Amino acid sequence: MTLAERETRPAAADSQLAEMLLQHEIEKLVNIEALLLDERRFEEWLDLFSDDVHYWMPTRTVRYERELHKEHSLPDEVAHFDETKRGLEERVTRIRSGMAWAEDPPSRTRHLFTNVMVSEGDQADEYEVRTNFLLYRGRLQRDVDIFVGVREDLFRRSPESEYGWLIARRKVTLDQTVLLAKNLSIFF
Amino acid sequence: MLPDVSRLVDTRNGTLDPRIFVDEEIYKLELKNVFARSWLFLAHDSQLVKPGDYITTFMGEDPVIVARQKDGSVAAFMNQCRHRGMRLCRADLGKAKTFSCSYHGWTYDLGGRLVSIPSEDDAYRNGIDKSEWGAIQVTQLATYKGFIFGNWDPTAPPLTEYLGDFTWYFDAFADRCEGGLEVIGGTHKWVFPANWKFAAEQFCSDMYHAPISHASAALALAPDDMEADDEIFPMDGTRGRQFTSRWGHGTGFFTESGDVLGVIVGREPGDWFQGGNPEVVERLGHHRALNMRGMHATLFPTFSFLPGINTMRVWHPKGPNEMEVWAWTVVDKSAPPEVREQQRIGTLRTFSSAGMFEQDDGENWSEIQQVLRGHVAKQTPLNAQMGLGLDWEDDPDFPGRVNRVYCETAARGFYGRWAQMLSGLSWDELAVTPPLEAVAQR
Repeated sequence: MTLAERETRPAAADSQLAEMLLQHEIEKLVNIEALLLDERRFEEWLDLFSDDVHYWMPTRTVRYERELHKEHSLPDEVAHFDETKRGLEERVTRIRSGMAWAEDPPSRTRHLFTNVMVSEGDQADEYEVRTNFLLYRGRLQRDVDIFVGVREDLFRRSPESEYGWLIARRKVTLDQTVLLAKNLSIFF
Repeated sequence: MLPDVSRLVDTRNGTLDPRIFVDEEIYKLELKNVFARSWLFLAHDSQLVKPGDYITTFMGEDPVIVARQKDGSVAAFMNQCRHRGMRLCRADLGKAKTFSCSYHGWTYDLGGRLVSIPSEDDAYRNGIDKSEWGAIQVTQLATYKGFIFGNWDPTAPPLTEYLGDFTWYFDAFADRCEGGLEVIGGTHKWVFPANWKFAAEQFCSDMYHAPISHASAALALAPDDMEADDEIFPMDGTRGRQFTSRWGHGTGFFTESGDVLGVIVGREPGDWFQGGNPEVVERLGHHRALNMRGMHATLFPTFSFLPGINTMRVWHPKGPNEMEVWAWTVVDKSAPPEVREQQRIGTLRTFSSAGMFEQDDGENWSEIQQVLRGHVAKQTPLNAQMGLGLDWEDDPDFPGRVNRVYCETAARGFYGRWAQMLSGLSWDELAVTPPLEAVAQR
């Protein structure tokens, strides 16, 4: 490397470094979320979401290629989840009630996140974050469910948050049409 | 070996032989004598808007295609090619002009008629009469107030007769407003590792489980200014009724309660459903419009619905140990947009795969199914005696055979009819043989 080349590097390196730092920050939060969910620290998990969050998991149908654009349910149709922050809080209240039999005894979950891809959002300080997941759930003695899919999130920089970020939107797509589980009493 | 069918259900003493939920031989007989003879829900008119719109579904374990025809009528036929038996259509729903088999290309029109065979003249130079090889038609097809039902049995009574004494109660769901109901787009489909009868019976006859099974959901969902107390979910069984139909259908509801719908699905849909809409009162009368609250219902065998909560579903059998539930959300066609939207959200958050009420139902049914693997468990009769011998038929407000809301008369009627059908009683015999003994005179 010549001296001239060496002097042109910092600008490129800065932007690459910034991108790496951003990726690192976001992956850190993704991992923290997995930890909070798997340790059933649901109240702390709720703190990751902005007050205006929309948490959505549409349903999915088997379609021929020519109608594949109609595969997912639309925003004004049914969904597995279609939650506000308050809705998520109610679900946590239910789980903590001591009478939520589908979660008491609790599910044992392991959230595995991968293929984290970050791109700029519409607003400054907002980023689209796409994450593949594999969610293993064991329940009672022998129940096992495996959920695989993708989360499309909007991450928002937020100084008030403990982690510097809030999740302002989540769309979860499952790779099943008939859900091969007796319920979705867990979070994605 | 098939157990003695006549002893599986004892409606006189209110006991059930647990093998009805697990036995493979009983299951095979059930597909033949119950599912292939009963009126089964196929689709709602609003799911098939335009000619060519189709859905695929099941009658028992037999796959069928239900399609809107060019003349506006509906056809239903086996989703199976007559050549080598391949499934004709592998999508859940869509729009089509024809259904072409992906194996050898036999092609059927929207009504299931075989219209083309590849290389017909060459391959079948021995001759083939296409008119004889159309898809197997569902034998009887009928629509009641937008609800499309099918029946494989040519000897089954017409749908209106089969609805029978249940019609008055079904109309509280189906006939509230001009224009009827419409299905909100999308279907929840998921599985319970449990026999279908647990679900069908619970929606038919079981208000009793709600305060225990669903305690957590009622607690979490009550708005800040409301409490899920005894006023909302009365524990006094005199404040409600359960009805059993001589055709095996059943329903139950509170006659006096607080805003039970408001707690479950939210205030807007609750008020719309029970707020005294003059049109509804006019059509249904005072008691049906205002004093049937938190209603549960099953139309024998597998079509269940919760008026007001406005979920409806079919429990598809998938062997003795598994069912697949297909659930839809419905709303009065004339409901304003904000009611429709709140109904959509309120229903999916309570009764669906992730529904806060429904999650706990699945836990109960699947655990029963596991327990019944045991030899001793299979020999131990289950108790369905609640309210036995205490039905009445002269209620001033509610027609037919009723009892208090917390009872199991509708379960006895459901299982009684199931056992009669399983034993192979003809429709002529079924028509004159009610599943339960006559009501004792008071």
